[in-house]
Amino acid sequence: MSTCPPVAGRLRRLALCLVSAVLGAAGPAWAQAPAPPSKLALTGARIIPVAGDDIDDGTILIEDGLIVAVGREVSIPYDAMEVDCTGLVLMPGMIDPDSFRGLDIPNENIPVVPFLDVYDAIDPSRLYFEDALRSGITTVHVMQGPNCAISAVSRVVRPIGLSVGEMTIAPEVALKLVTSPRSGADRMEQMFRLRDAFARMRYDFDTLAETKYEEAQKKASKPVDVAPAEARRRGADLVRETDLGDPIRNLVRLSRGAIIPFFHAVTATDLRNAVRFAEEEKILDRAVFIVGTDAHRAIAELTRVRRPVVIGPALVERRVDPDTEEIVETFLPAVLHAAGIPFAIRPDPDGSLAERYLTYQAAVCVRGGVPRDEALRAITLRPAEMLGLADRLGSIEPGKRANIVALTGDPLDFSSWVEHAWIDGVHAYDRSRDHRLQRLLQAGSTGDDESGDDAPAAERTDGTAGAAPAPAAPAPGQRPGRRERIVE
Amino acid sequence: MTRPMHPTSPMGTMARAIAMAMALLPVVLSAAVPAHAQGSDDGTTIAFRVGKVITMDDEERVINNAVVLVQNGRITQVGRARAVEIPAGSRVIEQPQAWLVPGLVELHNHTAGALGDLNDLVYLANPGLRSLETVVPESPNVKRARAGGVTTALLIPGSGTNITGFGTIVKFSGPTVDDMVVQSPGSLKVAQAGNPERYWFGVGRTMMNYNTRRTLEGAKAYHDAWVRFESGESAERPRFNPIYEDFRGLFTWDMIASVHTQQYQVVMTTVDMLANRLGLFTVLDHSTFDAWKTAPLVLEAGHVMTICGPRAFYLDPTQRRFNGIAARWWQGGLRDLGINTDAPVIPQEELSYQAAMGVYYGWKPYEALKGITRIGARALRIESRVGSIEVGKDADFGLWTGDPIDPRSQCLMTVIDGRVHYDAAVQRVF
Repeated sequence: MSTCPPVAGRLRRLALCLVSAVLGAAGPAWAQAPAPPSKLALTGARIIPVAGDDIDDGTILIEDGLIVAVGREVSIPYDAMEVDCTGLVLMPGMIDPDSFRGLDIPNENIPVVPFLDVYDAIDPSRLYFEDALRSGITTVHVMQGPNCAISAVSRVVRPIGLSVGEMTIAPEVALKLVTSPRSGADRMEQMFRLRDAFARMRYDFDTLAETKYEEAQKKASKPVDVAPAEARRRGADLVRETDLGDPIRNLVRLSRGAIIPFFHAVTATDLRNAVRFAEEEKILDRAVFIVGTDAHRAIAELTRVRRPVVIGPALVERRVDPDTEEIVETFLPAVLHAAGIPFAIRPDPDGSLAERYLTYQAAVCVRGGVPRDEALRAITLRPAEMLGLADRLGSIEPGKRANIVALTGDPLDFSSWVEHAWIDGVHAYDRSRDHRLQRLLQAGSTGDDESGDDAPAAERTDGTAGAAPAPAAPAPGQRPGRRERIVE
Repeated sequence: MTRPMHPTSPMGTMARAIAMAMALLPVVLSAAVPAHAQGSDDGTTIAFRVGKVITMDDEERVINNAVVLVQNGRITQVGRARAVEIPAGSRVIEQPQAWLVPGLVELHNHTAGALGDLNDLVYLANPGLRSLETVVPESPNVKRARAGGVTTALLIPGSGTNITGFGTIVKFSGPTVDDMVVQSPGSLKVAQAGNPERYWFGVGRTMMNYNTRRTLEGAKAYHDAWVRFESGESAERPRFNPIYEDFRGLFTWDMIASVHTQQYQVVMTTVDMLANRLGLFTVLDHSTFDAWKTAPLVLEAGHVMTICGPRAFYLDPTQRRFNGIAARWWQGGLRDLGINTDAPVIPQEELSYQAAMGVYYGWKPYEALKGITRIGARALRIESRVGSIEVGKDADFGLWTGDPIDPRSQCLMTVIDGRVHYDAAVQRVF
């Protein structure tokens, strides 16, 4: 795949190779690459597990894509391949808690679409996924944007894979319920859409339940001798998910707790409306609130419900006092932390500023008074918890998926680079083979070199199926690229 | 209508052409008698004595100094000139320098009728429509197609919505629609994305793919219900549905899904939804931009064919380099690889030129020729009838001055079902 670093491309082909092997199909030439080692030991690094204290000179043992041991004294099995990570810092792969960037368009032109699935629009070839991996994000929660009332059902994916199936970690995870007015609507109309959708869902469900009860009685040759309300109550348990029509299926699943409500509430007013709606619909216990920097004005409501929130990319609210022209800054993460509300941070992948990087976002939190541990959790474990995937993702602990990022230094030090990433134990990113990054960093180059050979192995007929060799690093003081044309 | 076939005299080509033109002058001027009247199915044998026959048969034979015998619209014998005895009384067409090539097969043609008939943009999916009802025999497009050696085409509705109707497999013969039709419905035209977005105020891929899948799943449920009834498994006779009825051949592979699809995600979805999940025999039309990167998925699916075009190359901004689309698919391991024109986007008669463009950007000439003959027939699932010059198959072929993939070559004569439907010596089209 041209749109992923070569190593990630190889992972994709390896995954496919494994599929072919399982199916017993004769593999084509490009699938002859060796399988990734089933046992892997990352040794000699400082480990930030997020769950628990940091470990110096530690080892992470990985088997079949899962972490099996972490610590200073881990014995390495004879058949494990060792990767010397001396001098590197290992942390859990970061998680983007809410992104529409992998989709063709953020939203449909229809305000209520819970019958749709982002599965149909995720594009594995989007550069966003490659960029996410490059910045240490190994998990992306793909949701539609906020220009709707109820979004399509979301999906948690890895930023690697030839198809959406290969990328998927968890399907049908959440619905976005938007209380901030979408384009062309006001706040009341927006809330009406939500109430209307849930009211219709209940009406349809009750009608179905009543029918189911009557059918069951008829089948058992018993009379229907209860009031309709009681028939609906008794019939509710008889309704299976497959009985539900497309328009209501995912809303019923959401009210049953099988799908997570992600409220999108930009202002404090929207947030209060979201909290009220969640309480009225009895869906608060799994609710997550995506909020803006105005959320500190609704901190009382947030404190009362104690549900996690998603913040960012902006973390600071700046308001100019109209009388004094004094700038008043409110640092939202610190307010949330003081109130004991867990939060996850979104990056800004479209921006050219440092908000692109979750590590930068976490570092800013520390500057604003959030403890380091909580700042690191906000880009790893917190989003995993919100997505109901904390048993699999978000920290370096035995039993979790081996999604690990290796940095050249502390993650909150902005001079640190992501050097490697492993996803499910497979070496998915290697900076020394990231030709696009290297080209970007070649100062003075117009980039007309030929180094960027990231074509897929599918076009390689020699069966090597591997990445192109990395271009030679320029000598110190030398300007690579067009140097023969530069007169200094 | 009886007219002499080519004289077998040793006259030069030009002299022969002039002689023919003189002889046929009244006929040509009257224009009331179309060329398709030429030929016979009265049992007369026609012998083509040519310099080279590209058979495109299973052994991929190329026979030099060959004779092909045709009788009653079928090919009765193919072989070296010295090994084939031309029966007495045969009409002999002597072209010792020319190549005899299977009639070209076009998979993506919108010239059935007027452009106003191309798209009915009523719903996001419009099953129940048939391109058959727009077919105009002996249109200028048909005549020009024949002059380009094209004998068979899939006439399809446009790509304005996700499902625009059923295609019609025709031969460019005439004079009536019945004479032309090989199969109707011959395909279901699906447009996965890349045009239907403009429907209404704009539609995205979540909605389009949901709607397309739902329509096809409805059709499959209808088909399955009938199968259960017809096999006696169920006593319940399904209610007849005129819209879903046309879909049934799709699930028995008696009809193909021909899919307007291009770009990575869109082709990935086509393979996933239509081929893998619904099990349809799927033909990827266009397959342009970076679609070739899905080659591993296409190979894995198995019953997917790729017909590229009309764009021959793609400048990949992420790689900053040109990619020949057919060449990339080929390098990716695809062997069932063809070419289309999307006529009238590219005129139908330039099908061979589109294949030549594929070669210009790195594909192989012989494979390109195969891609517009045998592979096209395979993609339409009419390989047993057309696409190669073999005994027993329909006598559909073109007589060319050289390799059709060489843009300098021209088609001298086009034969469909054993009848000469175009003869440059009588009236050149271009």
